[in-house]
Amino acid sequence: MKILIADDSRVMRQIVVRTLRQAGFGDHVLIEAANGREALEKTKAEDPDLVLSDWNMPEMNGIECLRQLRAAGNDVKFGFVTSESTPEMKEQAETAGALFFIVKPFSAERFDEVLAPILG
Amino acid sequence: MSVEVEVNENDLAEMVEQVWESYLDPEGLSPLLLTYDENQSSEVHSSVSISGSWTGHIVYASSFPAARRAAAAFMAAEPDEVSEEDLADVLGELANIVGGNVKAMLPDGAYLSLPQVVFAPEATARYPNAHRVSGVYGLWDGEPVSISMWQIRGDNNKEGAE
Repeated sequence: MKILIADDSRVMRQIVVRTLRQAGFGDHVLIEAANGREALEKTKAEDPDLVLSDWNMPEMNGIECLRQLRAAGNDVKFGFVTSESTPEMKEQAETAGALFFIVKPFSAERFDEVLAPILG
Repeated sequence: MSVEVEVNENDLAEMVEQVWESYLDPEGLSPLLLTYDENQSSEVHSSVSISGSWTGHIVYASSFPAARRAAAAFMAAEPDEVSEEDLADVLGELANIVGGNVKAMLPDGAYLSLPQVVFAPEATARYPNAHRVSGVYGLWDGEPVSISMWQIRGDNNKEGAE
């Protein structure tokens, strides 16, 4: 499977990659995007199976990226990995078609709990 | 006008503990030892702004060695492998993580900015009409680290940081 990691922090993308490995998902193909616009383009171009996206990013935020993907008919599995998680945001995310929220700071156990049912 | 702050020092301390457990000190060997010294020195700081139902700033400040060590811990690298770009990235992410968790405790309708990083002491910052409402101050292996909340009020003209 191919997983796209979108976060404007390069170090946070490294941590997500490391945590995926720690949680046992290191054998998937991992690709990265530095903002929502890049995530949108790479999702269309590279057709990942799952997108793990930060919410608050320059150029385009995560929720706008998700909305544009769905508007274009793309139904890629999409979840947020973000420091922000309010009921308001969760509702917006769910309405837009997101599957889950992982809140920073996170653990490998949390990744496993959320991603195991999705990635198998 | 923003609501009165509903995030106290215990809440901030809990967030800080989670950051230490997850990224900075996963083995629990070097916790942040609280000093309660609001005037401790710093050499770098990062901040995020929150607007809407609560308006203000969340500020992470530390010495250079503590910032370098934090970046190394985030990157699973040695402190001497950390570039200035890495330092800025990690300092911004630290403010973002604490700011995001603070936002989650506020009433709906709060918005978080992207982080700003300044390689200068927190004391050089000026937040118009803002006053400090909460903070966690401590030493991490002898190096100063702090996280503070500054609330903007429309009903006074106080200016910080002091």
